[in-house]
Amino acid sequence: MRKINRRNFLKATGVLAAASALAACGGSSTSTAGSTGSTAGSAAGADGAKAYNELTVGTDNTDLKADLKFVSHRTDLIEDGTFDGYVAAFQKLYPNITIKYEGITDYATDMTTRLTSNDWGDLCMIPTNIPLTELGDYFEPLCALSDIENEYNFASNRAYNGSVYGIPSTGNAQGIVYNKKVFEAAGITTLPKTPDEFLDDLQKIKDYDPSIDPLYTNYAAGWTMTAWDAYTSGGATGDPNWMNITMPQTKDPFQKGILGADDMGPYAVYYILYEAVKRGLTEADPTTTDWEGSKPRINNGQIGAMVLGSWAIVQMQAAGDHADDIGYMPFPITVKGTQYASAGADYCYGVNKNTTDDKKLAAMLYIKWLTESSNFAYDQGGVPVLKSQEYPDTLKAFDGIDLVEDAPAPAELADLATEVQQEAELMLNADQTHVMRVVEAGINGDETLDDIVADWNAAWDAAVDACAPQ
Amino acid sequence: MASSATVSAPKKRKSFSEYFHSMRGQQLIVTLVFLFVPLVLLFMFTYLPFFKMVEFSFFKMKYIGRRTFVGLQNYISVFTRKDCFHALSLSLYYMAGSVVQMALALLFATILSFKCKGSKFFRGALYFPCLICGISVGFIFKFFFTHGFVLDTLLSWVGFNVDKLPFWLRDESINNVVLVACSIWKYIGQNIVMFIGAIASVDPVLYEAAEIDGANAWHRFKDIILPSISTIVVLNLIISVSGALSAFEMPYVVTGGGFNTSTYFVVMDKIAHTDQKVGLASAMAVVLLLLIVIVTYAQKAVEKWLENRSSGVTK
Repeated sequence: MRKINRRNFLKATGVLAAASALAACGGSSTSTAGSTGSTAGSAAGADGAKAYNELTVGTDNTDLKADLKFVSHRTDLIEDGTFDGYVAAFQKLYPNITIKYEGITDYATDMTTRLTSNDWGDLCMIPTNIPLTELGDYFEPLCALSDIENEYNFASNRAYNGSVYGIPSTGNAQGIVYNKKVFEAAGITTLPKTPDEFLDDLQKIKDYDPSIDPLYTNYAAGWTMTAWDAYTSGGATGDPNWMNITMPQTKDPFQKGILGADDMGPYAVYYILYEAVKRGLTEADPTTTDWEGSKPRINNGQIGAMVLGSWAIVQMQAAGDHADDIGYMPFPITVKGTQYASAGADYCYGVNKNTTDDKKLAAMLYIKWLTESSNFAYDQGGVPVLKSQEYPDTLKAFDGIDLVEDAPAPAELADLATEVQQEAELMLNADQTHVMRVVEAGINGDETLDDIVADWNAAWDAAVDACAPQ
Repeated sequence: MASSATVSAPKKRKSFSEYFHSMRGQQLIVTLVFLFVPLVLLFMFTYLPFFKMVEFSFFKMKYIGRRTFVGLQNYISVFTRKDCFHALSLSLYYMAGSVVQMALALLFATILSFKCKGSKFFRGALYFPCLICGISVGFIFKFFFTHGFVLDTLLSWVGFNVDKLPFWLRDESINNVVLVACSIWKYIGQNIVMFIGAIASVDPVLYEAAEIDGANAWHRFKDIILPSISTIVVLNLIISVSGALSAFEMPYVVTGGGFNTSTYFVVMDKIAHTDQKVGLASAMAVVLLLLIVIVTYAQKAVEKWLENRSSGVTK
């Protein structure tokens, strides 16, 4: 055995100490100390930098050099090259800006964890479970709300205190994807306008051909259950203030007949799901539904309808040969004679507050290009973000329907909705278990919808009291 | 006689520098230096998060944002809520499953330890499921149990009528049993490999002696193998019980916790990540830890009692 003499020992510990010192300083190279300097409530106008609305894509800063990292939830569009196409087109105007996409599948949970470090990247889609009051802790204020709210739909979606932190990528209108041919063959001539009409239509499909699933819930995918919550706000009530202002301060919001009639309000939405399951108008075994397999099936006419946002239309059309059979109808609830449709922003683009000024500028230019020149919203079959752009064909049925966007809460009530929902453990638009419970009750018959709604109301009332603004 | 270079009649106290250079000193220093990195990692990734979690359990907080101190409120909630302990009752299925798993593992291990055609192949085949990612396994099982698909087709070959077969994952009377069976399928390989290793350490002379005395395979197992590997069996039992209490993978991936398959961890995951009640979820985790500790001590106490009762039997 070699003698461990002093010299060798010192060499060894020296290497070890140096290695551990290096390990400590890997990674965070993008943060610059304090040079961002932007204060909440003001536009990104510090040190003379332009705000989002002042930028002109194509002429400003064309020689800007930056390497951006963009974290996105659209793993499908990353894989099929759509985003690469956008980057290539953007680089024609800005050859020195490179953008690298990173896709995350379980986006909402993973991204929230990543945001707790400051160097997650430069651009991302802002997770919806971050309270509006905390947007300024992570994201750069892009411009003042008053500067863009006349040109942009849904501009207030990720805005707080007069500043916009997120630009919507596209808009979703909430309706139901259906197969037009199946509906026609079953003898349905007009689109349903009330829950009972819709349930009767599903029954007609079942009578016409028992092998077709009139309504496919996609229970096993989880997020397809969460999707039902989006219909309970504007579309079911006609009130843009319902979700963020009225509901968190209302007791028993899930009650039947809350707006004066039984067939509107949140109760009506879950009523449709519960009754459809109970009457056997959905798939026989919810636990083994197959999301990817359901797309070609609705295309081929083996499924009558699915309750999904407008983003699904394009996917259903592309899944088989019968793209023309796919239609989109507004949700069958009529509020005092008018049919409304909830519309809202899909994920919004956000810029990391802790990245360099050059990267922030490059990121804003890319976002502006994506929003105004890339036709992303139109191609994805969504409601366009620019008010001046036209609606895609698939949303033709929404002509004459009032689009209701959830209004953001005023500053003193900001995040009240999220807090009440979390306290009640009924995270609307985020949690699937409460909707899964409705399906399970329909199958098992061990509790009725009224039992479930009573439970929800009790939890909600307790939460309203606990979170009431002082 | 060993070298007496450093031993003189009046033993003088070595100075630190001399100790540093001596063999014992050098050995000690090398040991400490090599231990340093693993201990730092252990502290940073196991103990520190654990202590932080215990700290979190006394607060009302989300993952990001402010926190308020609430004392024991979270612990009281864990005991008064309907869903936490109901979810623990589902762990009983998994505990029963782990007993079945151990019995099957002992059976397979015993068979495979002695002359058996194709034993190498079967060892590999039985261990293989452990290596597959749990999420993929869960997805495949979803298709496996779809009505009219794989399992139903296999059963129809044996003579069952497909229409009479239950909905394996939907039927609340059997879906937990089905999930436990999936879990057994996935994890039995580990137990088998461990038992094969333990059985291999038994002195073969004992088998010859037993054969002369007229013992058959069952006697050989009960009186020679089982006592010899009893330490490993008990260890596996303890691990299985704590695994049963913290069952998560199968119910989460296969059914998402629906139709009454939500185990304790599935509930904890929803509370922590969707409802952002991190304090409550931390309290749930601490309660589970205490439960596992209690159960482990109970097992050891029973084991000691059994040993004392049957003292005198050769170990």
